[in-house]
Amino acid sequence: MTAVNTEGAAASAAAPDPDEAQRAIEYCYEQGWSDGLPLVPVSKPLLDAFLATTDKDPDEIIGALEQVGRDVNVRTAAINAAMAGCKPEYFPVVLAAFEALMRERAARGGGFQSTSGPSPLIVVNGPIRKELGFNTAGGAFGPGFRPNATIPRAVGLIVRNAFGIHPHVLEQATQGLPGRWQVCIAENEEESPWEPFAENGGVTGGVSAVSATLTRTMEFVDNRHTPNHEDVLRDIEDTVNRMGSLIFPQTSVALVLCPEHAQMFAAAGLSKADVQNWMIEKCGHTGREFELAGKENVPRKPDGTFATGEEFHRILSTPQQVPVIVAGAKNAAISMVVRIFGEWSGSSVPVGEKK
Amino acid sequence: MPNAILDPTGTVTSAAKPAAPRAPRLASLDGKRVGLLINTKQNARPFLDEVGRLLADRYGVTLTKRTKVNFAVPEPEDVIKELVAENDVVITGVGDCGSCSAAATADGVVLEAAGVPVAAIITDSFIPTADAMAALRGAPGYKYATTAHPVAVLTEDKVKERAAQVLDDVVALLIDESAKDEA
Repeated sequence: MTAVNTEGAAASAAAPDPDEAQRAIEYCYEQGWSDGLPLVPVSKPLLDAFLATTDKDPDEIIGALEQVGRDVNVRTAAINAAMAGCKPEYFPVVLAAFEALMRERAARGGGFQSTSGPSPLIVVNGPIRKELGFNTAGGAFGPGFRPNATIPRAVGLIVRNAFGIHPHVLEQATQGLPGRWQVCIAENEEESPWEPFAENGGVTGGVSAVSATLTRTMEFVDNRHTPNHEDVLRDIEDTVNRMGSLIFPQTSVALVLCPEHAQMFAAAGLSKADVQNWMIEKCGHTGREFELAGKENVPRKPDGTFATGEEFHRILSTPQQVPVIVAGAKNAAISMVVRIFGEWSGSSVPVGEKK
Repeated sequence: MPNAILDPTGTVTSAAKPAAPRAPRLASLDGKRVGLLINTKQNARPFLDEVGRLLADRYGVTLTKRTKVNFAVPEPEDVIKELVAENDVVITGVGDCGSCSAAATADGVVLEAAGVPVAAIITDSFIPTADAMAALRGAPGYKYATTAHPVAVLTEDKVKERAAQVLDDVVALLIDESAKDEA
């Protein structure tokens, strides 16, 4: 059989059989394995190619959701990664991303079942970014690049298929969020003025590493209006402060800064810690402001009482609640405030190397 | 012979789970020990407090109250043991979110298997997830009580009204008057 182009001329006889491919794709849909988009049907030789990229035993359990009585081993993760469209050589990154995500209390608890429908934010650092062809520049949140697009999808398919968390059943997202299972940032280390994000997660020495947390959504801060870095910090602070996102006494936000904003802050002598401390110091509301949103039970203080009236309640207290990442192109001063579901574990996972 | 397409669902450990037995019902609630397992969701405490108060009025039950360790997941084994030791029946709720509705039914199934009748209360938006969790836990068709969604935003009076409305269903889940002979 041969493929045929629209003019009717036969393509190379070596091209794969599209009818057979379509049947295989439909078969995967019929099994209920798909997130809605076509899957790559996985055969034993493809699985073996994935398993050959890791020293891990195919039977090793790499995650469990106790409440639903399900777990996932390396083999099953590999099948899902292959289905998601990953290349075999991405698999060590998938494993590291999954390990990083499962360090999150919210992911081990009810996060994947939650009405908030949270989505992982995956951050990749180190030489693996270039080796595997990650996008490290413009369009950091996607799409267009195979590793950035398929690795988070692999995680989503593991949750669906291996953990059995299906929409409308054990997954109860009210609205979910755009970009669920689609966000994998490769940090723009080349244009970041600061240490790689993985160092904040404890992986030093330029080793390739993955960090992950669960997020509820994100909002941009477009500020190319001023040379004054404090004005820009105030603008970001305003977005961090959104009352709508506040449901607990403390919150957590990732600041995904564009190179231009990051470099502006660094040129003013600010470290990541300075940016974090600004937010910790300034972000919050008065008791009265919470009350006006009917959220007077949100600003609970450590002594169990609530901030009222003009009393100011801070919503951030540690740097771990404000991870700072640098991503995107140096072509406009546009950064992103990413709302974290729960709290980042504060630890990054080195990408395993095949010995 | 072409290669087979591989299944990505892995070993479904739950499929091997034995069926979880339901506890024998009580003949009556008169003078029994009722445990309230409060899941910390907004209005869960006043809701269960009112259910407990009404049961105390009607049946002279004694109440013990406990807060769930983590609303999103089933209670740890040691807590389950204590609940079993301390109570003749347990009422838990209010499951009004994805994880906590599933966790309420999971707690229910585990306590039932340990011999304690349970009335789990969830809001009616979460029936599919409660049913799915019960099936995963070896108790397909597990019975619980429902109240209309939402509960979190109700005023104090409305919460009490709801508690009164669900009371008969809660009692029906816990007793079987035909079991009197065994009691």
